[in-house]
Amino acid sequence: MGKDHKDLVVLLTHKRKEAGITQASLAEAVQVSRKSINAIENGVYVPSTVLSIKIATVLNCNVEDIFKLHDGTFPLLMESDKYE
Amino acid sequence: MTFFSRAVLLFICGIVQIFFAAHLLFDWSILKLPSDLMFIPGVFVLLAWAILSIDYYFGKKEKSNALYDEYIADRYYKLGAAGFSIFGLGIFGLFAIQDFSNWNLQAANEFILNLSAFLWFVFGALIVIFSYGDYKESVDG
Repeated sequence: MGKDHKDLVVLLTHKRKEAGITQASLAEAVQVSRKSINAIENGVYVPSTVLSIKIATVLNCNVEDIFKLHDGTFPLLMESDKYE
Repeated sequence: MTFFSRAVLLFICGIVQIFFAAHLLFDWSILKLPSDLMFIPGVFVLLAWAILSIDYYFGKKEKSNALYDEYIADRYYKLGAAGFSIFGLGIFGLFAIQDFSNWNLQAANEFILNLSAFLWFVFGALIVIFSYGDYKESVDG
């Protein structure tokens, strides 16, 4: 769970290690600093949509595989099909 | 430009601001600096702004991407917001302690100098803290 964003579950560390990529290489690939990747992994910073998509593309997964809402944060998600 | 050189640049800017602000706010007389030298921190700020802007627009793209990414922009935004909030409280305090019944040109001059000194002090302190944290994060974070 994010340190400063209690509703957000960040699975970036897990996904990055699964892909065998270091923070520095991921940072270089998505054109940000290594400390930004570290801040995202520790839940200190929530990235923009564009950066999230870039990270997901490099890690070959979906944005939802990296960032999730904590269970019960948003009850409407249970009925999301109503809004599609 | 590297994280270290940027930290040094901002640190110098902040220290100069704090020095001149403290000189005026606490009435230091170490160097017998006249009040009209209060523009000097502004010169440092303009120089730092020019150097950082030139580096951002004309520096190496790979380095600029890391040095000026969205996380840093977010930190600067928070620094500015914190600075203006504290400064706002300071203005409120300075207005509250004025004796407007005996208001004259000298009192107005002192009031303006105190305001500018407080502004330099707040932003100087924040920039020093930011430059240290920014560099430390780039090494350990």
